[in-house]
Amino acid sequence: MRKVIGTLLAIALVTGVALVAHRPGPAGAQGGGTIEATVTYAGAPVVEKLKVNKDTEKCGTEASIEKVVIGANKGLANAVVSVPGAKGTPKAMKATVDQHGCKFVPHVTAMTPGELELKNSDDILHNIHTYSTANPSINKAQPKFKKVMTEKFEKPEIIKLTCDVHSWMLGWVAVMPNPFFGVTDASGNAKIENVPPGKYTVEAWHETLGKQTKEVEVKAGQATKVAIEMKK
Amino acid sequence: MISVRLGGVGVLVALWFFAGAEPALAQAGDAAAAKTVYERKCAGCHGEKGDGKGPAAELLAPKPRDFTAGLYKIRSTANKVPTDQDLLRIITDGMPGTSMPPWRVLGEKDRWNVVAYVKTFAADKFKEAPKKLELPKEVASSAESIKRGKEMFEAIECHKCHGTEGRGDGPSRAELKDEWGHPIAPANLTRRWTFRGGATRTEIATRLAAGVLGTPMPTFIDSVEKPEDIWHLTNFILSLGPESPHYATLVAITAVSDPIPDDPNADFWKKLTPNNIPLMGQVIVDPRNFNPSIDLVSVRAVYNDKEIAFHLTWDDPTQSTDDPGKKLYGDAISLQFPPQPSPGPERPYFLMGDASDAVYLLRWENGKGVTESTANGPTKIATIQGGEATGKAVYANGQYRLVMKRALASKDATRPTFTPAVFMPVAFQAWDGGAGETGARMSLTSWYYLRLEEPQSSRRFIIPPVVAILTLAVMLLVVRVANRRA
Repeated sequence: MRKVIGTLLAIALVTGVALVAHRPGPAGAQGGGTIEATVTYAGAPVVEKLKVNKDTEKCGTEASIEKVVIGANKGLANAVVSVPGAKGTPKAMKATVDQHGCKFVPHVTAMTPGELELKNSDDILHNIHTYSTANPSINKAQPKFKKVMTEKFEKPEIIKLTCDVHSWMLGWVAVMPNPFFGVTDASGNAKIENVPPGKYTVEAWHETLGKQTKEVEVKAGQATKVAIEMKK
Repeated sequence: MISVRLGGVGVLVALWFFAGAEPALAQAGDAAAAKTVYERKCAGCHGEKGDGKGPAAELLAPKPRDFTAGLYKIRSTANKVPTDQDLLRIITDGMPGTSMPPWRVLGEKDRWNVVAYVKTFAADKFKEAPKKLELPKEVASSAESIKRGKEMFEAIECHKCHGTEGRGDGPSRAELKDEWGHPIAPANLTRRWTFRGGATRTEIATRLAAGVLGTPMPTFIDSVEKPEDIWHLTNFILSLGPESPHYATLVAITAVSDPIPDDPNADFWKKLTPNNIPLMGQVIVDPRNFNPSIDLVSVRAVYNDKEIAFHLTWDDPTQSTDDPGKKLYGDAISLQFPPQPSPGPERPYFLMGDASDAVYLLRWENGKGVTESTANGPTKIATIQGGEATGKAVYANGQYRLVMKRALASKDATRPTFTPAVFMPVAFQAWDGGAGETGARMSLTSWYYLRLEEPQSSRRFIIPPVVAILTLAVMLLVVRVANRRA
């Protein structure tokens, strides 16, 4: 009997160790919950228009600077939703920003510290000019023949991306300290998965509307809905 | 814990030692000793706190450096930290084309101390040691290298800001801002003597490779097809303009016997040597123009038995006509003469005359053409009816070329008659309407002189030999007479 128990224990241990070793994703993800965030804004959209005087075959004749984009049910796009208090190791992932149609696509990129791939699919000169304090800021020319550049952003911070050749081009790169984040879609929704159970403060950041927070409790295997309203 | 702290101190000491020892000629400046010098010589523009907000700052363009950001345009390094030698060089030589003068008037020790003092405004930025920029192997200038440089200039689209011919008139010009949000103009690459960080080959290659921090000018060291393209580009940029403007002191007007072409692009004009005249902002009466757009006009002039023609070339990054609603005005240029040249040194007041002495203006404006007028000051200008002057201008790639013509002889006392071999006062005024220049907001010169060179007749080829033959004959005669007497 003891032998049997011992064997079973051993099997259980080995399986357990194997499970831990093979566990995908960040620590604590197993049995984590999901945060379904909806970010809204009651104000009006803000879009600045600018007449384009160059590269019109790539950029179009009118550029729009979309500072506040609002979708259905007042949903606010391009907001970064994050859970700063959650514990988890950032996994290596390569984020990509494309310069396409004289716009940064996507407008807001969220990534864990590491490499960012900068593509130029426009076949014209752009220059990647970043405004940052924690990471070294860069201003590098990316001529048409340089299709891809890779830059490293090692420290968490929100970085502004601009192009001096096309002054309307504006993008943001949010380097996040943990892997629990999302960027809201056109209807203001973002999903954060595998959050370890616990009580957290969820944060929403928007380039022109600033920050708002909300308290949530994440339960294992459950989806927690959180609604955050941005105010001016 | 203690060991960690000691370790930290050790690293700091090592860093300090390394940073201090790195630049070959650097001296350790004494920041404290420079406080008085800084407050007396630098704070007026750069501010007591080093934030670039001194009392004079609002009048300056480009704005004085904000030292608290620790961001320096001109550096010889691959990272953001300039060497002490870089800072000393700017203090010593100044920045051409800006309000920063050379400070050689300060002793070398004082300048080193100021370097140390300026660094204290952003001490944390200087914790990192300067990293030497490794330029690719130098390529000497040659027709081939310049050709490759031009190809690369086009491939990496330098023209977007600097313009097709390098005059700083590219389509992105109006959008450019520095990292403080101030508008910033791309360099006019045909004017090497205004390059902020110097115009030697190495300096130009360094700007291309490492960029100009805090401005839209990016780094290109990793963005050219081959590293040596940096040198081909440098050689091409050096081919775009002369080394220095060689300012003229007198405008010489050549006599011609043929008809004078109206077309400013005619080959006829290219054969004449330009007289380059520097212009300054008008800062005597309101509204003043502290940062004039046009600082040079090249004058070529000829006359024949009937008329006199002035061919003027000047750079203007934007072509504009009168549209006051958008704060745009017609680009314009004018030549100023006394209505009647007086024999003595007396001349009307150079700023468009005054109540007692008028001046005559021969002016061209984009969209309006040539007018003749009488002025008794910059706000009292009366057009002369029945003007006979004509003009034709072309604008291309950030440059105007204009031919203005007038009869040599005047019909009345409001206009001068041009007489050969007489020194005639002349002054120039220019307006870049696209930069909001109009009325008294102009750039101008004080009085210069022009002279219609006398026609060169064939007599100069006949008279000297005749004189020589006659002299020889007289000598021979003297010798002969002397021999006979003896």
